[in-house]
Amino acid sequence: MKSSPTPTVARAIAKAGSNGPSTREVKELFDTRYHALAARYDRLLAWLIGVQWIGAIGFAQWYSPLAWAGKQSEVHAHVWAALVVGGAISAFPLGMALMYPGRRSTRIIIAVGQVTWSALLIHLTGGRIETHFHIFASLAILAFYRDVGVMLPAAALVTFDHFARGLYWPESVYGVLNPEWWRFLEHAGWVLFLNGFLLYNCVQARKELWLHCEQHVALSDATTAAARMEKLAALGQLAASVGHELRNPLAAIRNARTFIGRRLASNGEVDPKVDQFLDLISREVDASGKIIADLLEFSRPRALERSPCPLHPLVEEAIAIVPPRANVVFVNALLGDLPVPDIDKDQIRQVLANLIQNASEAVTAGEVGTVTVRGMAGAAGECILLIEDDGCGIPEDVLAKVFQPLFSTKTKGTGLGLAVVHGIVERHGGTLSVESIVGSGTTFKVVLPTHPPQTDAPGAE
Amino acid sequence: MMDTRILLVDDEESLRLTLGANLELEGFEVIEAASAEEALERVSRGEEFDLILSDVRMPGRSGVELFHELARVRPNLPVVLMTAFSTEAEIRRAIEAGVFAVLAKPFNLQRTVATLQSAMRKPMVLVVDDVESIASTTAESIRAMGVRATAVFDGASAVEAIESGSIDVCVTDLAMPGMDGLELANRARALHPDLLVIVFSGAPRSDALMQQAAEEGAYRCIRKPLDPVKLVHTIASARSGK
Repeated sequence: MKSSPTPTVARAIAKAGSNGPSTREVKELFDTRYHALAARYDRLLAWLIGVQWIGAIGFAQWYSPLAWAGKQSEVHAHVWAALVVGGAISAFPLGMALMYPGRRSTRIIIAVGQVTWSALLIHLTGGRIETHFHIFASLAILAFYRDVGVMLPAAALVTFDHFARGLYWPESVYGVLNPEWWRFLEHAGWVLFLNGFLLYNCVQARKELWLHCEQHVALSDATTAAARMEKLAALGQLAASVGHELRNPLAAIRNARTFIGRRLASNGEVDPKVDQFLDLISREVDASGKIIADLLEFSRPRALERSPCPLHPLVEEAIAIVPPRANVVFVNALLGDLPVPDIDKDQIRQVLANLIQNASEAVTAGEVGTVTVRGMAGAAGECILLIEDDGCGIPEDVLAKVFQPLFSTKTKGTGLGLAVVHGIVERHGGTLSVESIVGSGTTFKVVLPTHPPQTDAPGAE
Repeated sequence: MMDTRILLVDDEESLRLTLGANLELEGFEVIEAASAEEALERVSRGEEFDLILSDVRMPGRSGVELFHELARVRPNLPVVLMTAFSTEAEIRRAIEAGVFAVLAKPFNLQRTVATLQSAMRKPMVLVVDDVESIASTTAESIRAMGVRATAVFDGASAVEAIESGSIDVCVTDLAMPGMDGLELANRARALHPDLLVIVFSGAPRSDALMQQAAEEGAYRCIRKPLDPVKLVHTIASARSGK
């Protein structure tokens, strides 16, 4: 029997025909897109900061001498302030934007630089109300990043700056020596008011980008799937005609082999290799016939011939057609009290035989293993069949692809076996899923509705 | 099996040769024809055959067309088809017109020989139901599709019919007064181990009966009401050794 899963082992689950894009893929696309977007705004803001710097020097040169500090025409202290202090607060963001565009630390440093620029401008103009507008413009531009992590530090810095300078150097920020006690609250209030809306916009814009990525991944998944199906359909057509053409020569080979075997049997002594090779011909002809059958089944699924079919004896029949292995025991653990589903007996027998054979092959050579088939009735009266092995298990990345046509990990295999199984179960209106624990075993789960859905999916006819 | 003549029709020479040789080894007399036209010519010349074994897809007339033509000129001549194609509407129509069996290439020779021998005996399908109208109309409908069939209305008569040896398929209701379908199937198999048993039931609690019938080797279960077309296909696939 299979040991129960232990929490220390990674557990992977794949559903056949799982729909919807994987979160991991969406996240990857989102990160790439967002990084590109952030890098673009890093460059834009680097330009802005550079222009501000030059602008500030010019402004200081032309305007400051006429401003509040004096009327002497000389290289004003403000020009130096613009040149040196402005350079100091610009250099770091510019460097980051050039060297590390797109990083979160880059945009936070740019945000800090930009609001520090606002603070400097306000100081240089002695708290002129117009320069306070620079704060609002800066916050709005920083909102381009759609990053709460940028908006919050920026707003916090502005608020702190107003508070601290309002306390110790009110002239520098409000332009008066004794501002009203509520002056700080008014400014902080406006900043928070604007920031609230910008934050809301950041979150929404981020969500939209995520949604967009999700749709993009879904669309590209669908396109890939459609392209693959188209390729498979074309391949299937070819395979079907080739397969049909091969069946006649195979039949002739098998007949010839039968004849030779019988004539030799009546002739007494022969080289033991002859018998061995005759068996080999039989085996290889059978294997080729199986490949052709899979190809045909895949490219031209048979219409379902449903009839009520008790499952316990069907599992017996399926086990009987699976090639036995010395180290693997098959256990039919179905009980007789299961519902009797209306199914295509031949096709579900093939499903069970394929799954049991896979399970048997999952047992590593040289180890003893058990393949157990269990059955139970589901809540809605559907039949649930579990094909369990205690073999090597399937790694997660492989598990995600096992139902894909032409995917195979076996050195000898068309990769159609499970795709055919999946197709048959799906046409029955059922589901196929698999769970695997590496090193512990794999369980395939087939769920079949007891009564057929109103209309069966059409077969080839 | 001496003196049984099989007309083997296939356009593929390699298949004709190898299959022919094997059938001759089994004791049949095998006459080969490379096309449906050649086969028809031989039949119309008055040559006698016990069975026609024909490929389906051939240049010129197909094996199915050959079968339809033979059904017209030699209605009692059993025909077995063989094909490399799994699904074809043409083959379905042939089954609904009374082709005995359709073998899928490449086939197992032993099973093929068993099918051919059975076909040459021209066996009958026995339909058993205590509701006389069901048994009679079912037998009548499948007869209309070219399948030899007879109906009986209780287990004892069924056992009697099977004892006569002319039955190869027994289609029986499961729930019957007196001897039920399960008991009949057991008695019948004791008499005739190769008998193919198809059970049907409409009883509300028939799942357990079907379960048991399947455990005991019933070829297939069918739910009432019986669909004669479906039944004919089930009979053909049972006879084809599928």
